[in-house]
Amino acid sequence: MRDQLENLRSGAKQAIAATSTVEQLQEIRISLLGRKGELTALMKGLGAMDAADRPVIGQLVNAVRDDIESLLSSAIESAQEQAIAARLQDERIDVSLPGRRSQKGTKHPITLVIEEVCAIFSGLGFSVAEGPEIEHDWYNFEALNFPPEHPARDMQDTFFVGNNLLLRTHTSPVQIRTMLKQKPPVRIIAPGTVYRCDSDATHSPMFHQIEGLMVDTKVTFGDLKGVLTVFTNQLFGQKTGVRLRPSYFPFTEPSAEVDIACVICGGKGCRVCKNSGWLEILGAGMVDPEVYRHVQYDAEQISGFAFGMGIERIAMLKYGISDMRLLFENDVRFLRQF
Amino acid sequence: MNVTYNWLKEYVDFDATPDELAAILTMLGLEVEAMERRGDCLDDVVVALVEEKRQHPNADKLSLCRVNNGKEVLDVVCGAQNFNQGDTVALAQIGSVLPGDVKIKRSKIRGEESCGMLCSEKELGLAEESAGIMVLPAAVAPLGTPVFTALGLKDTIFEIGLTPNRSDCLSVIGIARDLAAKLRLPLKQSHSIAPEGSDQTHSVIGVTVEAPELCPRYSARYISGCSIAPSPGWLVKRLNEIGIRSINNVVDVTNLIMMELGQPLHAFDCDRLAGKRIVVRNAGEGEQFTTLDNQVRSLTETDLVICDAERPVALAGVMGGLNSEIENSTTSILLESAFFKPAAIRKTAKRLGLHTESSHRFERGIDIDNVTRALDRAATLIVELAGGVMAQGCVDVYPGKNERPAIKFRTEKANELIGVDLERDVILDILTRLNCAVTPCSAGLVNVVPPHYRIDIEREIDLIEEVARLNGYDKIPATMPVARVASDKPTRHQEIEKKVRELLINCGMTEIINFSFTSPDAAGKLLLNDDDPRCTAIKLANPLIEEHSVMRTTLLPGLLETTARNMNFRALDLKLFEMRRIYLPGVAEKDMPYEPLCIVGAITGSRDGDGWSRPHEAVDFFDAKGIVESVLDNLDIGGVSWVTDTIDPYYHPGKSCRVMVGRDCIGSVGELHPTVQKNFAIDKPVYCFELDFEKLVKLSRTNKTVAAPSRFPDSIRDIAMLVPEKLEAHRIVDCIRNEKSKEIENVYIFDVYRGTGVPDGQKSVAVRVRYRSFERTLTEEEIVALHEKVISTLKNKLQIVIR
Repeated sequence: MRDQLENLRSGAKQAIAATSTVEQLQEIRISLLGRKGELTALMKGLGAMDAADRPVIGQLVNAVRDDIESLLSSAIESAQEQAIAARLQDERIDVSLPGRRSQKGTKHPITLVIEEVCAIFSGLGFSVAEGPEIEHDWYNFEALNFPPEHPARDMQDTFFVGNNLLLRTHTSPVQIRTMLKQKPPVRIIAPGTVYRCDSDATHSPMFHQIEGLMVDTKVTFGDLKGVLTVFTNQLFGQKTGVRLRPSYFPFTEPSAEVDIACVICGGKGCRVCKNSGWLEILGAGMVDPEVYRHVQYDAEQISGFAFGMGIERIAMLKYGISDMRLLFENDVRFLRQF
Repeated sequence: MNVTYNWLKEYVDFDATPDELAAILTMLGLEVEAMERRGDCLDDVVVALVEEKRQHPNADKLSLCRVNNGKEVLDVVCGAQNFNQGDTVALAQIGSVLPGDVKIKRSKIRGEESCGMLCSEKELGLAEESAGIMVLPAAVAPLGTPVFTALGLKDTIFEIGLTPNRSDCLSVIGIARDLAAKLRLPLKQSHSIAPEGSDQTHSVIGVTVEAPELCPRYSARYISGCSIAPSPGWLVKRLNEIGIRSINNVVDVTNLIMMELGQPLHAFDCDRLAGKRIVVRNAGEGEQFTTLDNQVRSLTETDLVICDAERPVALAGVMGGLNSEIENSTTSILLESAFFKPAAIRKTAKRLGLHTESSHRFERGIDIDNVTRALDRAATLIVELAGGVMAQGCVDVYPGKNERPAIKFRTEKANELIGVDLERDVILDILTRLNCAVTPCSAGLVNVVPPHYRIDIEREIDLIEEVARLNGYDKIPATMPVARVASDKPTRHQEIEKKVRELLINCGMTEIINFSFTSPDAAGKLLLNDDDPRCTAIKLANPLIEEHSVMRTTLLPGLLETTARNMNFRALDLKLFEMRRIYLPGVAEKDMPYEPLCIVGAITGSRDGDGWSRPHEAVDFFDAKGIVESVLDNLDIGGVSWVTDTIDPYYHPGKSCRVMVGRDCIGSVGELHPTVQKNFAIDKPVYCFELDFEKLVKLSRTNKTVAAPSRFPDSIRDIAMLVPEKLEAHRIVDCIRNEKSKEIENVYIFDVYRGTGVPDGQKSVAVRVRYRSFERTLTEEEIVALHEKVISTLKNKLQIVIR
């Protein structure tokens, strides 16, 4: 019996050493230690032995089983490790291939700029207002203090629709519509599409503007300067220089053109700013009393400012676009860059 | 308006350099849009003396000169013959760069060294052509002086973009006045008048104004015995600098004075005026008149004409007539200086498309009090340059002379509106410098009469602007307004617009923006019937081009044109959308057109692009439908049905549908009809969708409620069935859903199959049903019972055959 056990032990050692896969090792375990295994069979012979020999042989059986068990465990463990190592070796991929992703579309740059400008002004307490693009002459011109036959109308070449209707030449009629609808305080921003019959490298017959209007008690020209400085600094960077210079719009007085220090050359002078160091981006001013008269506001009680800017101009400056026509050609090779 | 540095300096003695002056003008609201420096880079071309001139030893046509530039004597080889020893010439020294980027270098010409070049007028950019070199007047300036400085040619021309309110600055004097006010410097003006002859002007010529409304003032002078000749150099040069071509001494004077004082003038050949008379009247309807430019103009009753005793001789304020213009033989002149009503001149000039320097000024309004001053100044200069004598006095028809009313002005109001705190004296000083008559009348209140030339100043606010302007916008502190209310939150419309745009972007779509106007045949290309409302578009009265002459009633044509254009550039995998307004002639309010926001999309080409990792499958109807579904889902719009009757003609009739919610059609989706595809020159299938944004806003639910998920396990059962081909698959799903069993968590189609094993005219549809209770784990028996019920309902209602 003792010899049989020793043979079993040495046989098992050899068998385990010669085996490398987890599956074969499991088979060895079953054939030796399983219910019908060799060791189990030997243990069945234990009952027929002398009572005196039984404990000694019993101990030996246990020792042999522990030995085999431990040999098997470590062999299985190392076989598993090898198997994993081999699998990892086999499964190497080329990580340089592009990833699989869902295609994301892009917003039009005009949309992006409108959203950004509206977000800045909404932070300053302005709400978004809208108005029709096919507009009455009265809202587009007369109420804004452009009398019929006035040379100021030449500033804006107009598309006419007939029946006193026209394509609005600016977003300013939204000022009128808003003031007719509500009493002060008013703080709105009005993005929209506008039209002028003018078409060349720097003019598109359709373009976009954002109008701003604030009317309240004791609003000053200095406030206008403050709001526009905050705005340009947020849009173009904290240290962007801002300059207001006198200008003329029929519906504001005093009126100003607003320039920012050239974002291309930083004010030193370049081709984009025509060597002036400044870029014109906005028209603005204090709302003219004549406009208040048309919307039945009392110019003695309130004051306010209005401003308007061209979206295309800002988009071109922000993204370094040199030709405005690119914005309306809708070439996906252009649009997908945004 | 063009003006030069030197010319301004004749009126105001400022120290500013041209660059500084440009900045000052711009900050005064007289924006310098461009600057042209004359002779600026030619400082190395200097006055020099030819001390010696001899024949070049190796060339017949060249001479060798010894030229003194004041510092040294240089050897220069010259090819011109028109000068002699002792002449003063223009020497381009080594290193100078002449117009046309000609660099002057030390060189050897036929073996002789040449240290510079003697220049012709052409080489210095002073003339189009020149014969030989420029010989300067002897001792014009010390040797070594830059030639342009010596000749007074060095100047800077400012191109000023004037705003329409500043008609007073359509003259050199106007700009100089503003400069003088800003810089606190005196304005220098000459008021001398040439001696007058013994004849009385009014006894030689007569003026009758029959239309005093349109011509409130008409003045004239008579000059006899003058001779027409080319203008002297200084006058030609000055006009040339501001972009006016020289014609002759008399016409040039009228132009010069117009530019100097802002008053348009006209000189008639008085001998060609019948009866030496001027009659100012309205034109007759259809009256014909030939203007100076030899064009026959047909006039209307609203036009104002200047006539002699018999016929029109000028189109008032716009252009003179061919029949009375100054000719070389002219000896007597009637010089006109008048004020015409701006609106009338504007109307005539606009109708005839005749925009002149004169009409430009009259349209914007000139200074009515300056009329005779300009007349006197021009007559004086004509006598000076063309000789002759001007008759005594002037004819001046000016019946309605008015004093300007005073404006009540509050210094406090000015400070309040501008946001500054200027002393009263500072404010009044500003107004005084602007030549306003300022009379304080009570505490804080001042009567201000603006100068006659500032016709734009009529109200207190106009004066406030002047204070802000002259004091300087840069001196106004930037402040933040104190707000009374917080802003309103975005409207539902605005929120949903933004949301839908984001959704489409997340579906991989690229946003496009097309023009709102389109071609009148755009709707026709979509095969729409003539009675389709989309064929009735709002027309522009004055389109730039026919292709942009109507407002679009549908966004599809633009989208398809964009698709075609991109395909031409070999961008074949496209997912495009546009979300813009359309324009319908209907009535929104008070005859206003209706401008609803619409959404269109088009997809074509490969579904996942040209990747390595996915099969290259082309998009189809269901990709387009999927985009629509995800928009509707995200807006929580339920009860959607996909209806295949009455499809728009631009879709493939078998691969398209309308999107309905109840009885409301909210859009459509489908493959583009092959004919439409051809109409837009597209050669691959395109799948489109349209959504009515306004309806999406109405239908979208804002108050969404959600349910907690069940915590019990699910059970999945599949049903494979044969159904007739024409049975719409969604009816199977609807039929199961209509069971309204609490235990059916969801149902979906996971396979549709035609082919082997499926009889013709039928299709195999496989549906997966997921059962789950909210209360407990369902037993096998319960699930079997539920599933049996589903199958028997399908068999009864849809006559399906279980496979």
